[in-house]
Amino acid sequence: MVRFKNRYVLCEVVSEDPRCRQCIEDRAVSLAVRDAIGRVHGDYGLACCSISFTVKYLNAYTGTVLLRCRKDSYRLLCSALPFVRQLEGRGQRYPCCLRTLHVGGTIRTCQKFLIQYNRRQLLVLLQNCTSEEERQCIQKSLLSCSLTEERSRSGDEEDDDGTE
Amino acid sequence: MARAAAAAATFERRVLRAAAEHQYLRVRLELPDGEARPNVAQLKQLVVSALRELHGEVGAALSVDILTYDEKTLSAILRVISSGLVKLWSALTLLGSYQNRRCAFRVLQTSPFLLALAGNSRELVLD
Repeated sequence: MVRFKNRYVLCEVVSEDPRCRQCIEDRAVSLAVRDAIGRVHGDYGLACCSISFTVKYLNAYTGTVLLRCRKDSYRLLCSALPFVRQLEGRGQRYPCCLRTLHVGGTIRTCQKFLIQYNRRQLLVLLQNCTSEEERQCIQKSLLSCSLTEERSRSGDEEDDDGTE
Repeated sequence: MARAAAAAATFERRVLRAAAEHQYLRVRLELPDGEARPNVAQLKQLVVSALRELHGEVGAALSVDILTYDEKTLSAILRVISSGLVKLWSALTLLGSYQNRRCAFRVLQTSPFLLALAGNSRELVLD
């Protein structure tokens, strides 16, 4: 069986500026990543990685980004991600960095990983809570996401609303 | 690969692939006539900028050495790590301009051994 294999890279946008979240859009992220690949790997690397490059999924609340590229050039892409320094959107620039969480062969494996990762992040958020209402909110989300494990997998991702 | 032949003498053949550390290239830069010729430092800068254009910062960090350079004939001997030969050669091939003038790098010889660049059967003159 001969087919084109892809790699899906799951990253998180980490930024100190809270306004950066509103400028997380697929075009801005795509431009920033392409620019970084062009700087680090030159014209050849840029052309290699751009063959099947898209931003498949974005979550502006949690800053999760899912990128797709060809299997032959995913190492070029992964090595260029630490060089993304800023995101530009609507004429504004915000410094940020991309943390790679997971590299998978299909969207489904990345989704499974993201669900488990978000569950763990909820526990971490619970520990770092300051006010009582935040604590109750998160406890409610935690209880709801652990009950629906059997039935729906896709409903668990919206449980954390990015409380900061 | 060791192969034992007849009983008297054992014949052993060793094949080493990619054992050499460096690759050596003899190149010549072609420029239009009557133009200012680059000196050694400018040639190094030209090679590194060609690598940077095609292969980015990773390519520009490749360690390339200019062992000799003759400014009159514009020919040089370059040395590069064996794993970087493809990057260097492709960057030299695709370099098109030097100081807004058209130029071309011709690769005359390449070998993992420096001594092999001493003789060139292409320039042999047969009477």
